Formats: sequence, structure tokens, C-alpha cells
Amino acid sequence: MRPTGLWFETHAAEARVLETRRARLSALALLAVLAAMPLIAGPWLLGELTNLFITLIAVLGLCVTVGMAGQINIAQSAFVGVGAFATARLSGMGVPFWAVLPVAALITGAVSVLFALPAVRVRGFYLALTTLAAQVMFPIIVMALPMAWLGGLVGLPVTPPALFGIGLSTPGRLYWLCLAVTVLAVWCGFNLPRSRLGRAMRAVHDNDTAAEVMGIPVARVKIAAFFTGALFAGVAGALMAYFLQFVTAQNFTLFASVWYLGMLIVGGMHSPLGAILGVCFVTALQEGLHKAANLMLQSDSALGGGAFFALSSILLALCVLAALILEPRGLAHLWHQVMTAFRLWPFPRN
Amino acid sequence: MTGLIQILIEGVLVGLVYGLVAISFVVIYRASRIINLAQGEVLLFGAYVLWSVTEGARAAGVGLPLPVALGLTALACIAFGVMLERGIFRPLIGQSGFTIFMAGVALLILLRGVTQLLWGAQSRTAPVILPEGALTLGPFLANTRLLIGALFTLALTAALHVFFTRSRLGLRLAAVAEDHVTALSLGVSVRQAIAVAWVLGTLVATAAAVVLLSGSILSLEVAGIGFKALPVALLGGLESIRGAPLAGVIIGVLEALATTYLDPITNGAASGVLPYVAMIAVLLIRPYGLFGWRRIERL
Repeated sequence: MRPTGLWFETHAAEARVLETRRARLSALALLAVLAAMPLIAGPWLLGELTNLFITLIAVLGLCVTVGMAGQINIAQSAFVGVGAFATARLSGMGVPFWAVLPVAALITGAVSVLFALPAVRVRGFYLALTTLAAQVMFPIIVMALPMAWLGGLVGLPVTPPALFGIGLSTPGRLYWLCLAVTVLAVWCGFNLPRSRLGRAMRAVHDNDTAAEVMGIPVARVKIAAFFTGALFAGVAGALMAYFLQFVTAQNFTLFASVWYLGMLIVGGMHSPLGAILGVCFVTALQEGLHKAANLMLQSDSALGGGAFFALSSILLALCVLAALILEPRGLAHLWHQVMTAFRLWPFPRN
Repeated sequence: MTGLIQILIEGVLVGLVYGLVAISFVVIYRASRIINLAQGEVLLFGAYVLWSVTEGARAAGVGLPLPVALGLTALACIAFGVMLERGIFRPLIGQSGFTIFMAGVALLILLRGVTQLLWGAQSRTAPVILPEGALTLGPFLANTRLLIGALFTLALTAALHVFFTRSRLGLRLAAVAEDHVTALSLGVSVRQAIAVAWVLGTLVATAAAVVLLSGSILSLEVAGIGFKALPVALLGGLESIRGAPLAGVIIGVLEALATTYLDPITNGAASGVLPYVAMIAVLLIRPYGLFGWRRIERL
């Protein structure tokens, strides 16, 4: 719902994602704070934020496939892995950095299309099972391929990125790179639902039989949804490869995929805002738990690292179940409710 | 030739264990229309409970006789199934398939976390319940543990088939598998169906854990069997109890052949990838499996 007193004189003004001047100013302020981070933050915070941006790109891709088109994808981590391995190979062959990112994304997209092809025949969770197959097969295949191809059991080193002769491998520069790509990804994420493909995906999401009757090529839209989601995953994988500087198949497990999905569900899967809130919330939760576990480890060594992992899994699972049972629209909906209440204050909402 | 037949025998026996795990998938789907990705974790949970009442109790100085231990495990499985129904799936009745699927995914990480927290990540020796050894049939050998498991699988298949197609309760469960809302409007208790489904599914999964692990290593990696059995359940048809062991035999034999003949060429990947390639092939060619129900799409 729009606040009272907001009107538009041109179509372009009405079509903006950020409608009010205040929204635009706060977005700019947030961006300025984030851009200034390398100047004020320490290496730990910078690393965490870079990781958060990379996760956010992957989850935005998931938001396209799962939230907008309604197709379950439990292979996002494998797709991120494809992007990362493609990056490691391409950068190893001396391909310039500006070309690596899009090519890695396209390779990932092509791989995802391979697993989305059953969409022509099946739907619903049957389609989810093909993505499960992709996720389970990914590490097996990577490790069985000859060492010279994808590094086998050991993994592949990644050549540090450089643009116009400037190295991008210092934490600060890598952070700026990730921030820039994330801003682009968020922009795409907010604008995709307003495009022709976005509206078609929405129709398929709501009822694919009805969408077919209305003349939407359902199978093609589903495959396009997987392809688009995998493009995001490929970019996230490329950045992750540069961030970790070394890729192995063990980084891209089913568990990571489930975590991506969990973040999306907790945040709310129907808008990119949900992806952002979910990633921030779950990462903050995990880091908080990590800190608490570290404190406990220092005071009393009864808890091991395994217990920390177990606790964070339990916590995420409980968050996801709570979101599914209590608030299927996720944190994004709560955010909207709070904003509306704030705007209408002192009058009650509804 | 002898070697080939030996491979086939092993494939069939291992395949029937896959079939047993697949039955636990099918039982849950057949009674509640929930495809439970966490089945491997459920199996692992049952195995750890069994370990606690046998080896764990012995280590604590309270040695329980085997039948009592098995009875306690069965009681724990029933409590576990009822708890899952009450805590997770009852509030989700009538929700979309997507939501229920995601609840299964959440259950997967929840159970993995709980198991790791309660029992730790170290591997341990599973209790010996079925006799170890090999039965000699002429020139061929058959593992006794797997052989007993195979006979158990076949008997269980027959019993469950009769239950689902002949008994009143079983037919009611079939209505729930067709559609939650329709079943509710016909006066079938979906809550009861889901509780029965989970109790049965947990019991069958624990039985599979006994056959699979008796006397071998119990660790968190065992949960991977769940994803191996999923292609089996899909090939057999998610609604068909009798399809599961047959599909298990098919996958088991194919996997045994791949292990022998393809693995040396492919660096060990063929047998690992095969069940999933088979799954994608099934989805492309015959999505409802060999004996599953063919659903008609309506607007």
C-alpha cells in the first residue's frame, strides 16, 4: 500500500522500484555506508560481508527459480560450484577477468538447462528430484574426472582477478567488486518480476495448467527460470572462487543448497527483499552462534566444533519450520507490516 | 560366468535392502502424500536409538536382552512418528505440496543436527543383530545378513500390500494420498493418516537400518542411503509397495554390474552416479514409475 499524498505525474515516475524520495535517499545512504566499509572495518568484518554478498547473489538466483517461478531447486550449491570451477579453469587458462564472470555464468546456465529439461515432462516435486540428482552427482563427477580437468580430490587454485592492470585480490578491492556485482544482481532481482519473463513466471508459479491455457509456453518458461537462477549462481560461484582462491568439490554440498533454500524461506520467497532479509538474518544468527560457541569453548571445552555445526543446523531448521508454519510470507511480510504500522502511526493498521 | 552370477546375486541382495529403504519412502507417501527427503536421517536416527539401547546401555552397565532392546526401539520409533505428525505436519495439512516438501527439507537438517548433537560425529560399531557369515550355494556365496534382510523385505512387502489394499484403514490412507482436502471432505482423518504414515515409515526405516548396519560401522554418512533409495522408490512408483523391491533389485543389479565393469574405466564414478542417472531417465520416460498412479491434470 502506498502512503497517502504520493502521486505521480509521469509513467516513468510510477514505474520506479523506489517510489519516494525518502526511499531513494535511504538506499543511497545504505550504499554509501557499504562502499565506505573497507575504510573503517577490520579484515574479519570485511570477509564476512564479502561472503554475505556472495551468498546473497546465490539466494537471489534461487529467488528467481523458487520464489518467482515456483520450481523447487535443491541444487543451487552445485550450480555455484559449476560457476566456481569454470572460473578456476578459465582464469587458469589466462582468460581476462572481465570475460570470466559472464562466461562462467553462461556455462552454469547451460548446465542448469540440462537438468531443467525434464520440466517438459514432469512438474512439482518430481522436477525437484532432478535437481537433487544434479546436487548429489556433482561432487562424485568432479572427483572422478581426471586430475588435470577439475583437480579431482585436491581442487583447483584460482588466479587472482585483475581489471585494467589493477589487482583485485586485496580484501578491500575484492569487497568493492562483490558489492558492485551484488548491487547489479539486486537491481536485476527487483526488475525481473516486472519483465515479460517475470510475469510469465508468476503465471506459471500460480497455476501452470492455467498458464498453459493462456498461451504461456510453460516448459520453456520453467527452463528459462532455471537458466536465469543459474546465471546468478554462476556469478556467485565466480566471486566465491576469487574469494576462496581455491575451489574443491567439498565446498558445494547438498547442505549448502539446503541452507540457501532455508535463507530464502525464512526471508520470504516472493520478493528479492525476502532474499536480502533472509540472508542477513540467517548469517547474523549463524555468526552470533559462532561467537557464543567460541566464548563457551574458551570457558569450558565440553562443546566441540561439531556441536556448533549441529546447533546451527537445528536453529536454521527451526527457523524454516517456524516460517513455514507461522509466516509463510517470511520476514519480508513482517517488514512490510512494520513499515505500514510506522507510516500510519498513531492510527491502527486496518 | 560364475563371477557374473555371483555379481548378480550380490546385486539382488543389496538391491532388496535399497527396496526396504524405498518401502519406507513409499509407505509415507502412500499414506500421507508427503515425499520425505529426510528418510536417510530418519533411518540414521532409528539406528542410533537402537545403538543406545544395545551397545550404549551395555557400556553404561545395563545390558538389556535383545528382544527388550528391539521393543524399546520400536516404542521410540512410534513416539518419534507421532511427535513429527503433531509438531510439524499437522499444522501444514492442506498446504501446497511445495510447503510440505520444504518442511521435509527442514526436517532433514533438523534431524541431522539433533543426531549429531546427541550422539556426536564419531563413528561406532553397530550392534550385531543378524548373524554374520555366508551361505554357500554350490559355487556361489550369499551374505546371511543380507539374505535374511531380503526375505524380510519380501514378507514385509506382501504384508504391507495387503494392509494398503485390503484393510479399511489402508484404504482410508490411500484417499489421503490422493488429495488431502478431498479426503478431509469425505470424513477421512488426515491427522491419523499422517501419524500412521510416519510411525510405519520410521519403523520400516529402522528395520532397514538393522539389515544394513548389523555388525558394521555406524556413522553420520549412513544417511546417504536415503538419497540412494529415492531413485528406487521413484522407479517402482511412489504409490506402489510392490514396485519398491522390484525396482530395488533392478537398481541393485545395475549398480553391481557398474561397480564391476564400469568403475575401473570411470575412476569409480559410474556406480555412484548410476542411481541418479536412472532417476532422471525414469522422470523423462515414465515419471510415475513402473507401478505408480498416473495422475490426470485438471484445471
